[in-house]
Amino acid sequence: MKRSEVYIRSPLTWLVPTLALVISPHLTRFPVWAILLVFILFIWRLLAVEKPGLLPAKWLLLLISIASCTGIFLEMGTLFGKTAGSIILSILLAIKLHESHQTRDYMILVALSFFIIVTNFFFSQSIPTVIFMLVLVVLLLVSLISINQQNAIIPAKQKIRLSIKLTLQALPLMLVLFLLFPRVPGPLWKLPEEKQTATSGLSETMSPGNISKLIQSNELAFRVNFENRMPAQEQLYWRGLVLWYFDGREWQKGKSNPTLSPQLQHSGETISYKVTLEPHQRKWLFGLDIPTKTPDKVKYTNDFLLRTTQKINQLYQYELSSALHYRIQPQISPWERSAGLKIPSNTNPQTLQLGRQLRQQYTSAEEIIQAALSIYRQQEFYYTLQPPLTPGFDPVDQFLFQTRRGFCEHYASSFSLLMRAAGIPSRIVLGYQGGTTNPINQVVTVRQKDAHAWSEVWLQDKGWVRVDPTAAIAPQRIENNLNAALSDNEPRPLHMQLNRGLAKELLFYWDAIDNRWKQWVVGYDVKLQQSLLEAFAKRKIDFSELLLIMTGAFFGVVFILVLSTLKPWKREKPRDPVLTTYEKFCSKLAKAGITRHAYEGPEDFAKRAAQALPEKKDSIQLISRLYIRLRYEPDPGPVKLDQFKQLSRDFKCK
Amino acid sequence: MNSGLPLIPRVLEKLLQRYAERRQPLTSHKAKINKTNLYILPTRQGVLFFIVLLLILAGAINYQNSLGFMLVFLTGSICFLAMVYTHQNLNHLSLYIGNAQSVFAEQTVYFPITLKFPEAALHPAIQIQAESNETTITHLISKSETQDKIAVQTIHRGYITLPRIKVSTEFPLGLFHAWSWLQMSGQCLVYPKPASRHYVLEQPINQQAGDKASEKAGVDDFAGIRQYQAGDAPAHMAWKAIAKTGELQTKRYTSETDHELCIDWSHLDARLGTEEKLSILCRMVLDAEDKGISYSFSIPGLDINSSFGLQHKQRCLKALALFGIPRETQ
Repeated sequence: MKRSEVYIRSPLTWLVPTLALVISPHLTRFPVWAILLVFILFIWRLLAVEKPGLLPAKWLLLLISIASCTGIFLEMGTLFGKTAGSIILSILLAIKLHESHQTRDYMILVALSFFIIVTNFFFSQSIPTVIFMLVLVVLLLVSLISINQQNAIIPAKQKIRLSIKLTLQALPLMLVLFLLFPRVPGPLWKLPEEKQTATSGLSETMSPGNISKLIQSNELAFRVNFENRMPAQEQLYWRGLVLWYFDGREWQKGKSNPTLSPQLQHSGETISYKVTLEPHQRKWLFGLDIPTKTPDKVKYTNDFLLRTTQKINQLYQYELSSALHYRIQPQISPWERSAGLKIPSNTNPQTLQLGRQLRQQYTSAEEIIQAALSIYRQQEFYYTLQPPLTPGFDPVDQFLFQTRRGFCEHYASSFSLLMRAAGIPSRIVLGYQGGTTNPINQVVTVRQKDAHAWSEVWLQDKGWVRVDPTAAIAPQRIENNLNAALSDNEPRPLHMQLNRGLAKELLFYWDAIDNRWKQWVVGYDVKLQQSLLEAFAKRKIDFSELLLIMTGAFFGVVFILVLSTLKPWKREKPRDPVLTTYEKFCSKLAKAGITRHAYEGPEDFAKRAAQALPEKKDSIQLISRLYIRLRYEPDPGPVKLDQFKQLSRDFKCK
Repeated sequence: MNSGLPLIPRVLEKLLQRYAERRQPLTSHKAKINKTNLYILPTRQGVLFFIVLLLILAGAINYQNSLGFMLVFLTGSICFLAMVYTHQNLNHLSLYIGNAQSVFAEQTVYFPITLKFPEAALHPAIQIQAESNETTITHLISKSETQDKIAVQTIHRGYITLPRIKVSTEFPLGLFHAWSWLQMSGQCLVYPKPASRHYVLEQPINQQAGDKASEKAGVDDFAGIRQYQAGDAPAHMAWKAIAKTGELQTKRYTSETDHELCIDWSHLDARLGTEEKLSILCRMVLDAEDKGISYSFSIPGLDINSSFGLQHKQRCLKALALFGIPRETQ
């Protein structure tokens, strides 16, 4: 009795921990009070499994639901965004848990869990996420089995095995559906814009310190597959956005002039490549300096930036070609000239003074630029991730004339201001520089740590020209990477310290796998599906054909699965003639109303049959005795079998 | 736990039943569930899951979310496989019905039933229900055979045949309901319901019975030893004989002066209805057996000489059970 009680448990003992795991990936986005609330609700429910009297009253649950919805609304400003929605679903799940007492309620909880699992995919579609999803599915299946086992005593091991078996068998079916389910392009309804953006990445402004902060992150920004030739490391300038307005401390994008049209002349070969951009919740794309044409549905701004109409909130793949040798805007417009020369008044007087000095000293713009760069090179400037703070009103002055320690944003900012003071139109470009080439698949991975800022100046006849003052002070940063450019005693971000030796190699493998995953799984869309199908069928496959192929393939796999588990070819064994003969004999008796019970042995049955049919007592007993001997004696001999068969055949009840 | 067939309207269920009957007219003590008589439909929860999956699919299409697609297709495939599993939880099940112990009207008959699969495997949560009776839930876990009982509530005396039984399951995921209707030939004799009032056995009956000088069980003279029967008074136990043989024995006494007990239809108040009379007679037979008194039994069309013991009792009760029921309909 005690032993069986161990097994017969409420399905809640499985369900509650599983649901906790379902919610867990969302907790990072929860406000602290919500984490506490969910934690308390779960523990409470677990305690109440044994003592149902502990369950909270209905009015209290209602109060908690209303209060937490209000709380989320106050915190997030909405109830229906991805983050707010997933938090509310999770809290409601925890509350519903307290109202669940029967099969139907438990089933609703499991159904709700699938919603919560899927909302997590808005935030992550990585390989670990998918593995975690598989674990959750298996655990939910175990819970479903526990819900529906109806007091059967099934060891947990057996339930887990059954769940894993179901999941493994479903995997090939899932693959068929995933590949062949007809994909349709674009959203069916307009996606609500998300207000908050928790993603790291470049922002639309640049002030001292915000790029060096970004460097701390090893998060992936985008990956690039070069079609043919990959440019040299120092040519990998990934243009993101251009900042025109400077207030003395911070550079801003400002309003760009829509009346301008981009003018581009390029020479030499163009480089083709495919970019797989991580969702960054912004409307800009990155391109190698400088893109010659835009992908579909992407706007080309007059400062040669790529703009999308929608925020990039999922993995985005685009193909580009860029020219390394180019001439843009050889005729500068009045708008560009005035914006490119605008100097904030009353700030950084020393820098402005220096600029004016350079203007007087040299005649050509090229000479001024060289002179400015040589200031960085010749004076004691340092390239460091931890520049001293420059909190005053004149941060550029402080940097140029006092601290002389800075990161790319300090150099770019001071250089552009110098140029403007010297009468050369100048602007700041934000983007990434370099990237890591994975030796396994030759894919260039650009991470947040590769974030960079540089300057562009406008020169007569040449148009806008890139000048990177960082290259003057730390050429290693551009030619190699940041790690090489930092001095030895400079403390590195954690990801740089870890990225060496075996770990570095393993990370390359992981990166290569992750790249495949992103391109083929996360990025699997209508285009990829069509190209895959065309590669097989050598022609275009339309919607209805695809449905037919999918259904056919699905049931084909089902057929194979059923065959391999049921193994019908192993079924029919040649049956024992003794047994079949005896069964015939029994069925004759059964027709006369004497049915052999499954629990009855032949001897007992013979006794009962003889009692019921006294006139047939002898033959019944003889046949039964022969049967027992034939079936259980080691060597009864062939004659007896014939006799047994003969007797049974002749046996009649009446 | 009877979730029934939530998705089938009553009319459709009737149609399905008729269809099933036409396909399986065979009635016998055993039945086998196979693909010809096993039906399957989603449960209410199954439909709920289907709707949830459709919603997630719509979301995945809208947000072009590959992992969303993956989850939908994985879960959908699992649900599909669950249908096969639920079907397999009953497929190839053989059932054998045994004969039930007789009961009195308004009691519950329990038909013994044996469930057998060709191989030992996990087959839990099998529900067996004889039309609108209590559901039996039985589990076969790592064995190929098990026994259980099907409950059938009786109302009237006479032979009761096992109604059509429904064997069903929703294991493993509760998303599908697989069931089979089986008509099996279980039969049981139902005795009349004994009257609740006890009647004084001797007084009204023994007046005319006095002249018969046959041996009657009494209390006066010792008349030998016989096997113990339920209801024998402890004071009459033959302790010495018990010690000698190791079996329970009772001393028998005869009483010349004792009148023969005669349980007779005609002695009852003529104003009583047939069923009431049968009820009273049934009570009398039981009481007489309880007290260890021999009795003769008489109802219109049948007289049984005075006797005592299990077989006598069963004969009398059977006669009461079948009284007035034409032979063909028995």
